[in-house]
Amino acid sequence: MNGIKIVTIPEVATIEEIRDEIRDVKTFYLSLDNKEIDKNFKIKSGQFIMCTVFGAGEFAVSLPPSPENDRFHLTVRKVGSVTNALHELKPGGKLGIRGPFGNGFPFEEIKGKNIIYVAGGIGLIPLRSSIVHVLQHKKEFGRVLMLHGARTPDDLMYKDNLKEWQSFDGFETYITVDVAAPGWTGEVGFVHTLFDKANLPIENTVAFVCGPPVMFNTVIGELMKRGLSDDCIISTLERHMKCGVGKCQHCAIGRTLVCTDGPVYTYRQIKTLGEQI
Amino acid sequence: MYLIKKSDVLNIAKALSAAYQVYGPVVEKVSGQTFFEKVDDISEITLAAPIPAAPPKSVVFPQAERIMSYRYAGGNTPVEIKPDYAETPKALFGLRSCDLTGIQCLDRFFLGQEFVDDVYRHHRKKMFIVTNTCVVPFKYCFCVCTDSGPCADEGYDLNLTDIGDNFFVEAGSAQGEALCKKLNLENASEQHRSEKNACVDKSITLFEEFSTESKAWISRVMNRVTTGFAKEDVWEYVGDQCFECGACSFVCPSCSCFNIADASGGNGSCNRLRTWDSCSYEGYSRMAGGHNPRKPVEDRRNKRFFCKLSYSQSKKYLRPGCVGCGRCNWVCPGDIGLPNVVKYIRRETTSR
Repeated sequence: MNGIKIVTIPEVATIEEIRDEIRDVKTFYLSLDNKEIDKNFKIKSGQFIMCTVFGAGEFAVSLPPSPENDRFHLTVRKVGSVTNALHELKPGGKLGIRGPFGNGFPFEEIKGKNIIYVAGGIGLIPLRSSIVHVLQHKKEFGRVLMLHGARTPDDLMYKDNLKEWQSFDGFETYITVDVAAPGWTGEVGFVHTLFDKANLPIENTVAFVCGPPVMFNTVIGELMKRGLSDDCIISTLERHMKCGVGKCQHCAIGRTLVCTDGPVYTYRQIKTLGEQI
Repeated sequence: MYLIKKSDVLNIAKALSAAYQVYGPVVEKVSGQTFFEKVDDISEITLAAPIPAAPPKSVVFPQAERIMSYRYAGGNTPVEIKPDYAETPKALFGLRSCDLTGIQCLDRFFLGQEFVDDVYRHHRKKMFIVTNTCVVPFKYCFCVCTDSGPCADEGYDLNLTDIGDNFFVEAGSAQGEALCKKLNLENASEQHRSEKNACVDKSITLFEEFSTESKAWISRVMNRVTTGFAKEDVWEYVGDQCFECGACSFVCPSCSCFNIADASGGNGSCNRLRTWDSCSYEGYSRMAGGHNPRKPVEDRRNKRFFCKLSYSQSKKYLRPGCVGCGRCNWVCPGDIGLPNVVKYIRRETTSR
């Protein structure tokens, strides 16, 4: 699995295809121009890359594709000057890539366990790689559940994937929106209100939680109330980053750096870092 | 061990200038301040000048530098990327031991971790370092508290000590030894070594009281900061005092935070710049979209002192992050230079 790592000077990648996901969010399918590097560019689920939009700057972004049998892509919401510039690009346009960086999800340690995914809004993006991986190796895990909440039905991420996942044998999916729209027949309410309905497993269970800070705190509170231990709750943190390799120090929290020690942490670790999510 | 006459000492710098770009302490005429800068006319160097206002870390880690440039005309056109590493051989002449310690901290941080920083590595690749013992400490110095002075023990090619009519010259590397041979320096005796040791001992007695009295306290405060026993009140006070000017980080020989920005040069060309940054700035940890996990100023101040004073952070430098140069005390408009913070933590501890 030890592929190359692009550390300092970005490698050029070409955008092959762009898909609209939800408002302000697009998925960019990419391939590296240097075919030799492209072949050896191996990511681990849960890692991130530094993406250069030429002329605008560089940003850290999580990797939604699964390391196996998945086209390399990024899903990005336009939120600042660099991501706005990215959204202006068309297929055939060029990007710079450095990475992959970070620790990744601990799949070896969670084999044989029940897995719960709780994703709020675009929090599904960094969890996607893990979901795809676990579904590919479904036999190695116990119950696998996903609870995805979004503001409105239009804000549900990866709609094509959701459909596919809902019909995946043995994958328990629950979807809810905060505010229903005409024609919505599904659940309405915050994502943690589905916990009872889903009959969440607690014993021998690991939960992956990702979403906006408010949702994160509520969900974690609910999970722990039900008896899930803080070291069985896994999340991936976002930070302002400049280098990705532990030098610029922008992503330092407590005694760790999100870029090299993270971005994947257990809630037990997060609690000791002494900073907001 | 060699000797060189005081009047001849700049010959070392002259000899170095043949193969290296020499940097040294120069006294600026108008302000009377010392700057450690690029020197083309060796006679501009004032070896006895006070420690430079800004640390010589700028030679290996410039305040702003281009690390690469690229050109992209948009669409499906090729992107040309050119790395831009500074590879000029450099000689640092007349470095003070605190500043050498600062560079050693940067070496361990940029080169000794999981990832090697290529930009820094190129700066450091070919370098000759001549240190100068402080036979008289300067007003804000407290290197005796942080084990980084007044005389360098390692990491130099040559170390000079003013012992009266002569400089006592110690070679710390093969290239240092070779230069002494090449310059035909007079051999020094054990007598001269004792003279040098006496000069260093005397220098240690000349430190200001604030420095000598906090000697034992630095390590005790490190313990408090590491174990989380430094009181919240102290950090709040420190946060209240902070103007968020970032000066402490910029004058610190071991502060290494940087920012990266792509500056457009027009016509699709762009320079990727790496500039100094400071953890005291509000925007330091702010993400696109506005979420800032590290909001209150005491959080951010806490971060800097944690970086300098905790054991977990000193692991990356293999020593405390503070080198005792005193510059932060000198520049801070809010009286929260590192020695003062040590004093506040100490006061909190003893007043219980």
